[in-house]
Amino acid sequence: MLDRIILGDNQFFGINHMSEEKARALAIRFRDLGSILRVIDTAWECGVRGFMFNTHDQVEKICDHFRARPGKYADLRIYPSMPYAHKYANAVHEKGLIGALNSFLVHGRSVGQVASTVLRGGMSILNRDIVEVMRLLIDAEMRIFRGLNVPAIFLQNIITDLLLGCGAREAFVAFADHIRKAYGAEPAFNSMNMPALVDFLLSCGLEAPIVCSAINKTGFLMTPGQQEYERTLASKPFRPMAMSILASGAISPREAIEYVCGLPNIQAIVFGASSKEHIAQTVETIRACWNLEARAPRLVKVS
Amino acid sequence: MLRGGIVGAGRMGLTHFSILNSHPEVEMVAMCDSSSFVLKNAARLMGIEPFQSFEKMFDTMDLDFVVVATPTAMHADVAECAIAHNAHVFVEKPLTLNPQQSQRLLELVQGKDLVHQVGYAMRFHETFRKAKSLLDSGAIGRLATFTVEMNGPVVLHDTQKSWRSRPAEGGGCLYDFASHTVDLVNYLVGPPDDVVGTVFSRIHSDGVEDAICSTFVYQDGTRGNLFANWSDSSCRKPSCRFEALGKKGKIIADFYSYKVFLREAHEAEGCAEGWSEGYLADIAEPVRIYIRGFQFTRQLDYFINCIQERKPCATCSFTDGLSADLIMDRIRTDGNARRSHAR
Repeated sequence: MLDRIILGDNQFFGINHMSEEKARALAIRFRDLGSILRVIDTAWECGVRGFMFNTHDQVEKICDHFRARPGKYADLRIYPSMPYAHKYANAVHEKGLIGALNSFLVHGRSVGQVASTVLRGGMSILNRDIVEVMRLLIDAEMRIFRGLNVPAIFLQNIITDLLLGCGAREAFVAFADHIRKAYGAEPAFNSMNMPALVDFLLSCGLEAPIVCSAINKTGFLMTPGQQEYERTLASKPFRPMAMSILASGAISPREAIEYVCGLPNIQAIVFGASSKEHIAQTVETIRACWNLEARAPRLVKVS
Repeated sequence: MLRGGIVGAGRMGLTHFSILNSHPEVEMVAMCDSSSFVLKNAARLMGIEPFQSFEKMFDTMDLDFVVVATPTAMHADVAECAIAHNAHVFVEKPLTLNPQQSQRLLELVQGKDLVHQVGYAMRFHETFRKAKSLLDSGAIGRLATFTVEMNGPVVLHDTQKSWRSRPAEGGGCLYDFASHTVDLVNYLVGPPDDVVGTVFSRIHSDGVEDAICSTFVYQDGTRGNLFANWSDSSCRKPSCRFEALGKKGKIIADFYSYKVFLREAHEAEGCAEGWSEGYLADIAEPVRIYIRGFQFTRQLDYFINCIQERKPCATCSFTDGLSADLIMDRIRTDGNARRSHAR
């Protein structure tokens, strides 16, 4: 079962869609692990148990913190989103495609693990097919979350949307299969093109796919448009999750949450906030709008 | 249905491929790349016909258009071959590595009535378009000074193995990174009459510059400064900021917003006296698919639209590509002269 309220991680890594100054201010505020963990614990105290993390370098340390306190975080649920695209893009710039892929597969692994990887897929990455490489990269990223409870694993939006445009059906199916088989988790997808992606995933035979996208009252980052989103939400058999609900601060929190909670079928809201006041207010407003204490989330079973 | 091919399937090449492949009136049928790993997997996942030779691709595939996203040193050869095969051609920025090559491509393409475009995507970004509109409207009066600054985390280690660290292939901050800012100046203000005070700095690289500063001088007294640095580890991703001061006000634009200060209100531009601002979230027009930014879809849909309507590109044509190459050539000459002087 998915959490209905999930804390996102954009704010921790200096991501803001409204201004570079705000993004830098966030990066300064969250320059040390302690300030990130304090916000996580604030959300925890407000009853949040679901956390989405991109596979940023810092996340390993956050996960170490969770692993060291199994009692406290017993019912923690992590929703990884991978890959953290800028990490790969920068590496490809410097090392070329093959060099970058090799470095990610080897990074943080023992000699034995590398040898086993080589045996699984042949001597060189060049001999492998992309689906095998993708599985190895997922496994490399998932090492960050070892030992933690992971209900669903997201393909990050840049990669999802790139593969969507390319029409790479096999990649989506292979991702979904690997996530289910290797991790017993639900495959899920972040996207900036929710209506097109939902149609595509359904045409690939993925039942009731989980798709997380920007959904907000202003239509911000909702491609090709808000109406298409609302139509898809009302008519397609999928499990939508909403992010960027505040449109990076363009609308008031109550107005923003009332809009999203009023839409049909939304399974979860991923929100970003940094202060205790904002976290508490957001969580309370979502609970009130969804009447969460009284009603269990409506979930479609995936075979 | 237009049949398209792509030469160079790196990060930009695949982005372009993805955007075009999802266009309802385009069929992407061919891909050319030096990597057999990329080709093998693209053929399998995307159903394209793979090629390691672009000549063979043009000879056998009967393409309506091609996107050239190779390292810059190859742009001229691939584009020339495309033109010879009567294919409309979109070339990633910068057009070539020297103005003579760009001039030749322009002449070849103009003789064939083909659509030609260079991938200066920032011209398709709303905030910079608003800056252009504000400048052209005269809202800030006669321009006095401007600054364009671009920083990014492209090269952050001393060892690099990609073509970006090899000057002969088009590596280096000026051509590969700062070309965006050069074109932005060309678009917003126009080409400078003189380029002075250029300094190239090395931070991590051996063979190429990692940072540039340069001063643009105009006969009417306008002065502009360009700063570019691709070794800025404080940035999560590239940032670009344009600031212009005129007699009647100031414009500041970056990837997220524009801000305007006017001494007098300007109704046509919807700006009051004093400060006004607009955010991308409010001014971005929808696109049909979003992949890494609105501007990338907008520039390619514009290219396809020009082909369909048989009209030349009014912006980002090879003429603009040549113009940017001429400015970069002056920056390179000015910077190299100073370097030898220092020795």
